[in-house]
Amino acid sequence: MKHVIGVADMKISGNPDDILVTYALGSCLGITVYDPVAKVGGMAHVMLPLSTGDPNKAAAKPMMFVDTALPRLFISCYKAGAIKQRMIVKVAGGAAPLDTGRGDYFEIGKRNFIVLRKMLWKNGVLLKGHDVGGKQSRTMTLNMSNGEVTLKSQGVRTRL
Amino acid sequence: MALNILVVDDSSIMRAMIIKVLRISGLPCGEFYQAANGVEALKVIDENWIDMALVDINMPVMNGEELINRLRENPDTADLPIVVVSSEASETRIEILRRKGAEFIHKPFTPETVRETIIEMTGVSDEGSTENEDIRCGSLDF
Repeated sequence: MKHVIGVADMKISGNPDDILVTYALGSCLGITVYDPVAKVGGMAHVMLPLSTGDPNKAAAKPMMFVDTALPRLFISCYKAGAIKQRMIVKVAGGAAPLDTGRGDYFEIGKRNFIVLRKMLWKNGVLLKGHDVGGKQSRTMTLNMSNGEVTLKSQGVRTRL
Repeated sequence: MALNILVVDDSSIMRAMIIKVLRISGLPCGEFYQAANGVEALKVIDENWIDMALVDINMPVMNGEELINRLRENPDTADLPIVVVSSEASETRIEILRRKGAEFIHKPFTPETVRETIIEMTGVSDEGSTENEDIRCGSLDF
């Protein structure tokens, strides 16, 4: 069954028949985690780097911010039976917008990825794959039967 | 097969960072050894079984290049896998190091680059367990 993860949202699954997909990853980050032994994993679509500027929003929508979303993604997977040391983490997105003549002033995409990297480092986790930056939007898919992550961007499908 | 790894860098912070990368990489790591310069490194290698060395170039007392020369001159260590981790920018100097059988990682580096380089050099797998106990210094978010 296909599950679509929207902006500031997350889905965890232990069902090998599930396909998790998120669309329109621009500056947002799509983050997938997958335990190949337990066959449990999840996907999050995260918008902004840090929740410190808007704690009320973070309380209401924790999946909006990298620093509140990432722990929830991992901990939810642990509750479903995943083991941290086995989890394969991949990320896509973090793009800069199309050139409007003013440049990428806020660098949201870049900052999203930086915060993600810092949190993974602090928590002793390495990325297994990433496709970030650039200007193109991405669609990200996680196949729960085998953990395969595929990306689609500008009509081209690739495996991450 | 667990790898005993020597990290040679005059910065204790850099040594700690590299060791942390190795611990969380999933690579089959055994013991970690440290040295702040080439002279200390030669002593460690002489007194311990070392499977691989990650070496900085610019260090006091004895730099990385001289260390590599000494290791390659010794039949016991001529084939020791060496990864140079350095901010060295000269392609000529990097090529000289590669001709001595060393791989090269530029500083600043991503942890994944260190992992992939070691996998490529040694053929080991990164599907082993990670030592989470040693990472729990300070608070963790997950």
